[in-house]
Amino acid sequence: MGAIIENLDKIINVSLIYATFRSATPIIFAALCAAITQQANILNVGTEGIMLVGAFTAVAVSYFTGSWVVGVAAAMLAGVLIAMIIGIGHIKYGADNCAIGMGVNMLALAITKFLLNVVFGMNGSFSSPEIDPIPRVKLEFLSEVPILGEIFCNWSIAEWFVIILIIALQFLFYKTVWGLRLRAVGQFPEAAKTAGINVNKIKYQAVAFAGMIGGLAGAHLSLGYSTQFVENMTSNRGFMGVAAMYFGGANPVFTSLGCLLFGFADSVGARLQAYGIPSQFVLMMPYIVTIAVLSVSMAVKLSANKKRQSSLN
Amino acid sequence: MSEYVVSMSNIVKTFGTVQAVRHGEFNLKKGEIHSLIGENGAGKSTMMKLLYGMYPINSGEIIVKGKKMDRLDPKTAIEHGIGMVHQEFMLVEELTVLENIILGFEPTKGLTIDFDSARKEVQKYIDQYDMEVQLDKKISQISVGEAQRVEIIKTLMRGADVIILDEPTAVLTPQEARRLFEILKNLREDGKSLVFISHKLDEVMEISNRISVMRQGQYMGTVNKEETSPLDLTKRMIGREVFLNIDKSYGKAGKTVLEVKDVWVSSNKETSKIRGMSLHVNEGEIVGIAGIDGNGQSELIEAITGIRKVEKGSVILNGKDITNFNPKKVRDAGLAHIPEDRNKRGLNRTMSIVDNLVAVQLDEAPFSKGMMVQKADQDKYAEEKVKQFDIRPTDYNLPTSALSGGNAQKVVVAREVSMGKPLLIASQPTRGVDVGAIEIIRNTLEKAKKEGAGVLLVSAELEEIISLSDRIVVIHEGKITGELMASEANENNLGLLMMGGKESK
Repeated sequence: MGAIIENLDKIINVSLIYATFRSATPIIFAALCAAITQQANILNVGTEGIMLVGAFTAVAVSYFTGSWVVGVAAAMLAGVLIAMIIGIGHIKYGADNCAIGMGVNMLALAITKFLLNVVFGMNGSFSSPEIDPIPRVKLEFLSEVPILGEIFCNWSIAEWFVIILIIALQFLFYKTVWGLRLRAVGQFPEAAKTAGINVNKIKYQAVAFAGMIGGLAGAHLSLGYSTQFVENMTSNRGFMGVAAMYFGGANPVFTSLGCLLFGFADSVGARLQAYGIPSQFVLMMPYIVTIAVLSVSMAVKLSANKKRQSSLN
Repeated sequence: MSEYVVSMSNIVKTFGTVQAVRHGEFNLKKGEIHSLIGENGAGKSTMMKLLYGMYPINSGEIIVKGKKMDRLDPKTAIEHGIGMVHQEFMLVEELTVLENIILGFEPTKGLTIDFDSARKEVQKYIDQYDMEVQLDKKISQISVGEAQRVEIIKTLMRGADVIILDEPTAVLTPQEARRLFEILKNLREDGKSLVFISHKLDEVMEISNRISVMRQGQYMGTVNKEETSPLDLTKRMIGREVFLNIDKSYGKAGKTVLEVKDVWVSSNKETSKIRGMSLHVNEGEIVGIAGIDGNGQSELIEAITGIRKVEKGSVILNGKDITNFNPKKVRDAGLAHIPEDRNKRGLNRTMSIVDNLVAVQLDEAPFSKGMMVQKADQDKYAEEKVKQFDIRPTDYNLPTSALSGGNAQKVVVAREVSMGKPLLIASQPTRGVDVGAIEIIRNTLEKAKKEGAGVLLVSAELEEIISLSDRIVVIHEGKITGELMASEANENNLGLLMMGGKESK
């Protein structure tokens, strides 16, 4: 404990800001993937699986083509295909979201493990200098500026892109025709139907779009955040994304703020490990935060609801 | 081209094994208000939903403005100028009034929705037909009457000249209904053709040009308003004459059974929070609670029966304080309860008639002995109740899901009334049941009162409240706005109180 207090300035400093954002980015992508379907009232339990398939596809395609662009595009396409399993199962056949989502997650785990072995003859993980990673944007003019330089000068393209995506989705949901219809479909499908809107078409569109973003989430994890594929490398980031989506009520901006909390827990945890905190505890951090965040946000919501409904005010 | 803007002939529609429409006929002239009447389940709503393309027809022909419609869905219907105001409003609660109005037909400017031009367009209709609505409020914040005007504007915005209104007055006070009628008459003068679905004959007689009748999925003919009378229409609707005026006794009310003292109860909806309500029910009287749906009736009943928490105040049953007892204990203290939603709280639909009949006394003799149920005694009891309440089919081992609304409700009534508890709460006891069952249920309540029970009756039907009650308590937004003896009550003074107004003497 003493060591932590002595080294507090090394744990909490300017570089923690980027570290937090860096850890949060894959979760933000995942959460946005979940938010899109949530607006159509489809709980996307399969985010994790979509992401994992995206991560594998990105590495494999980037390795064989030598192009990160093709790798990312292929990952997004793979994400759409996997998401369509959820889409068709849920929308056409009325399958339960949780059941089909968990099914997709297990399928993704198994199929990536299988392909890792068949395609690369590897078990556990695959990395190679032939994999073309998503490049970083070096802002030379900032590198000399003291604080800003440290925060901004070395971001991956995907990290810049996630900020654009958050704003774009916020705009899409609340300012465009498609967004209005999407929300109407999610909240009261009958009303949308009587307005001449094809409810299932909108739902399929939402699922496909979410699949693209989920695939992108995976590609960022395996080509941007790291440059390798590891079995089950998503390690529940998809679920954290779903949790953050709940926290933010499927609103892109609030959802992303929730993700930053996870990123913060993750990066502080990593730093604490150096000062004698057991690694098991550090590994627990993001999950503890997930539970805490969900509990707190539910409790706040419930008590606000109770207060609103009470007759005594 | 024929004189009709809409003509439907030889319509058949089945849902699974149920024939909702066996033989449907309907036509609509330009610029008329044409009422479609019939009992619950007669197929009138279904007919109009078919016209709006909510479901495909099995067979028959629909012609709109001279064009035969082969495949109809809501979008095509809207394109041909058909609009529908559904019984349950098709409005998204968490979206604003404006967003709801433009949904599906949004004007755009570049990538975004052009809210400014939408606002101008909507304002045109608001001014033209004097339909005041607040465009920036969410649907969850506006009144039912206003929501209905939103629905009408919605159809106009979509270019409808045929407007279907499915039981539009069911949720309105008499005053709000009158306002709606003014709007409808304005629309008619403007050349719109309107379909008015209802089972309230006085309204139909007031507003229609022509009236079509349906009974059990069959078309029973069309008449001009001038050539018919409420009695004639009743006969056409139910195939026999029914006199719902029951023989009301004015017994002497005895001691107080139920006392509700300054009770405060929370609710999910802003308008139905109970804020300091006091009332009492005596032995041998029926106290009716009148009010527009959603003004706190359900919450009050839930609070008395132990389903919802009382935040302040007390409920006293037979001299015993039962505030916030659990439902079982409340029942043990002497209460029977016909809940408003028989499918949710009144019955277990997958279990049999006999199981449902004995459900609340299963742990009592003679239905069980120790840990064992006494099947033979249960059967004997069920046989007796099926006969007494004319429950059909008579096989009491059938699941209650096999019963029609009226017969299912008779099972609930039979169970609750037969226990002879000192307090009977009847919440919407005749909602969605046929005329025959209404007669039996109303007479049963009257009988319970004669035998000395105190009855607290909640109903959305003013006519039911007036004809059954001895005393009437009117509530509005969770407060009591007045109390009248039934003999001095009428639609006017009750309607005013239901709107929250003071009774003017």
